[in-house]
Amino acid sequence: MLNLRQRTAVIIILAIVLLSVIMLNGIFMDNDRLTVNLDSKNNAPSLNHLFGTDWLGRDMLARTLKGLTMSMGVGLLAAFLSAWIALMLSLLASLNKTFDYMVTWLIDLILSVPHIVLLIMISFAFGGGFNGVVVGLALTHWPSLARLLRSEVLQIKSAEYVGVSQQLGKSKLWILRHHIIPHLAPQLFVGFILLFPHVILHEAAITFLGFGLSTDQPAIGVILSESMRYLSTGLWWLAFFPGLSLLLMVALFDLLGKNIHKLGGPFQGQRG
Amino acid sequence: MKIKKLTFMTILIFVALLAGCRGESDNSSPKKDDELILAIGGEPDEGFDPTTGWGRYGSPLFQSTLLTYDKDFNIQYDLATDYAVSADGLKWTVELRKDATFSDGEALTADDVIFTFETAKSSGSIIDLSNLEDLHKVDEYTVEFNLKEPESTFIYLLVSTGIVPEHAYGENYNENPIGSGPYQLVQWDKGQQIIVEENPNYYGDKPYFKKMTFLFLSEDAAFAAAKAGEADVVSIQPAFADEEVAGMKLIQLESVDNRGIMFPFEQAGGETEEGAPIGNDVTADIAIRKAINVGVDRQKLVGGVLEGFGTPAYTVADNLPWWNPETTIDDNNLQQARKILEDSGWLENEDGIREKNGLSAAFTLLYPAGDQIRQSLSITFAEMMRPLGIHVIPEGKSWNDLEYLMYSNPVMMGWGSHDPLEIYNLYSSETRGVGYYNANYYSNPSVDDYLNKALRATSESEANSYWKKAQWDGETGFSAQGDAPWAWLVNLDHLYLIDENLEIGEQKIQPHGHGWPVTDFIEQWHWRE
Repeated sequence: MLNLRQRTAVIIILAIVLLSVIMLNGIFMDNDRLTVNLDSKNNAPSLNHLFGTDWLGRDMLARTLKGLTMSMGVGLLAAFLSAWIALMLSLLASLNKTFDYMVTWLIDLILSVPHIVLLIMISFAFGGGFNGVVVGLALTHWPSLARLLRSEVLQIKSAEYVGVSQQLGKSKLWILRHHIIPHLAPQLFVGFILLFPHVILHEAAITFLGFGLSTDQPAIGVILSESMRYLSTGLWWLAFFPGLSLLLMVALFDLLGKNIHKLGGPFQGQRG
Repeated sequence: MKIKKLTFMTILIFVALLAGCRGESDNSSPKKDDELILAIGGEPDEGFDPTTGWGRYGSPLFQSTLLTYDKDFNIQYDLATDYAVSADGLKWTVELRKDATFSDGEALTADDVIFTFETAKSSGSIIDLSNLEDLHKVDEYTVEFNLKEPESTFIYLLVSTGIVPEHAYGENYNENPIGSGPYQLVQWDKGQQIIVEENPNYYGDKPYFKKMTFLFLSEDAAFAAAKAGEADVVSIQPAFADEEVAGMKLIQLESVDNRGIMFPFEQAGGETEEGAPIGNDVTADIAIRKAINVGVDRQKLVGGVLEGFGTPAYTVADNLPWWNPETTIDDNNLQQARKILEDSGWLENEDGIREKNGLSAAFTLLYPAGDQIRQSLSITFAEMMRPLGIHVIPEGKSWNDLEYLMYSNPVMMGWGSHDPLEIYNLYSSETRGVGYYNANYYSNPSVDDYLNKALRATSESEANSYWKKAQWDGETGFSAQGDAPWAWLVNLDHLYLIDENLEIGEQKIQPHGHGWPVTDFIEQWHWRE
């Protein structure tokens, strides 16, 4: 039997492999599978077309994979930007009381507005499309992570060895580089991965509502909103499989993040 | 936590969606009274005021017009009993019937007609009366219209403009329309429905149905209402047409509700007054436009995208009295299309895309995002162009973006009117860059000449002969035989599910706009005996 640490590692590797398979498939897939084929439209799922075909005869599996890759790309970019913002703000907060007050205020402000509303407004203000969505997602998803990092920073700052460094005359920057950032790294990394599913679901949500990516892009949100029109005619596979795949991908990211957290955090890891 | 909540919500939505897919119920209501429930969409944002555009198509319901078209587009009298045009085409004299009253009992006289057209002229709405110099009363029941220039299409304004009462017209007229039409408005719940009842003072034949309810539902909800037997007339999209609905029959009406691609006609470089770029070097080449027109498979678009509910389109006005049948071309001819391209120097490179003098045969085809039929047409069209070596990139945009981009990019547009003036607006040099009219900056002097002659003609048949020549006179024209500034692709059939016992009679060729036009002869609808 594997011990907990090994099991966690196996889960992580499996999740990474699955996610990269989706991504590589999406990137290197032959675009011919996406072409219109009016002779085989509205086909139910079969061995030829595992996810069925849509009203223009496009293979839904191919569209779903493309869509997932697109979502992952958007998620990667937006989660990275969000994590970056969170890190910067938490470090800013550690400088002095005034900055700390301002950052906490900003966090409370953003958290007090419903996510999706803020997201729609920002995305709309930036003209929608890919840029609008990424900016919107990046600007709305950092607060919870920033709050976590800020309290972490506060804790580290009150540690004895930090006090000793101060007494030895080390500059604030030196302490930041040598004490604070190395301790924040695991939190930041896990936080980054856990932002992913959140970001991806929100991307799909606003695209579904028509404020996100434009309809010619193969995004899951676009696929889902298009398929709504065909649900009452019984083409259930248009929404079911892409939706399920989105759910699975989000669950995989969630699993990945939690297990890395388990493996990486020295205390949580042993507690299991 | 948030993730869990989101996941949970996603699952909930799925469950709800699946639950929505249960089988249809077949409780078609057995009512056979004189009431009718319609779900054909088309709630007018501006209300029911003909002077701002209400009732251009279909029945104005609450008002009536001076003249009408019958189903073959022959002019019939309605409020008018006679009309005459002077030899120079400038003076139109219309005589009114003497027995017409508004629904409040007041008589309809020349004053009301004058008031209607003067109000419409000053309203700045879509009704273009700029050519109307003035109009005055000859006697209580005779009106004289004086035009600045002869205009054969002026008659269409008499066909489509409902007469409003001078004594009862005010700020809120659009919500409380009083008129001389077959019905009067009882109730308008904005965003939901209108309820109308028979107008007891109507001068024409009494309508069979005494009460009608028009529901304003989304496509999906309308279809669900049909399935549940809650509506008698429902407009539906082709995707739903294969569904059997108990107690309902499918009505398929031909239309000039067309879809086609507008190609920028000039070389790139120009700019509109607002600074939008004009022109596109690829589509400015007539070989590209001609090859596309010849190479595209219109029948396949009808079958594939419209599920067979449509017809191939060759001009903006197929099958209307002013249409020239010689504009029909043999399409789906890849060989000839390739020959056209090669003869003019467009040669294939190693990627399979044609090039001429370093310019590659590629363009972005824009369509309004959210319009599923135009999207499907654009995507399918792009595929069809691939074997020709023309690289088409379909891209969805909002109407706002389109208004900036349409002068320099091909756009999937839709037109189709019962007024030949539309031809003038789309193809005349005079209307270049005027709103959506002639946004591709098409210009051809001999076409202009025909268009002007058609407009100045004093009889309809004379006008029609010039409209036809503008399309193709054997040498030039604006159709695909000539300059091909557009590639018209399909005419949509308008589909309705109606109660199997309801008779709506024969309909006109339907115009652009699916829904309200079906009400054209609504006062003649009846249950099957």
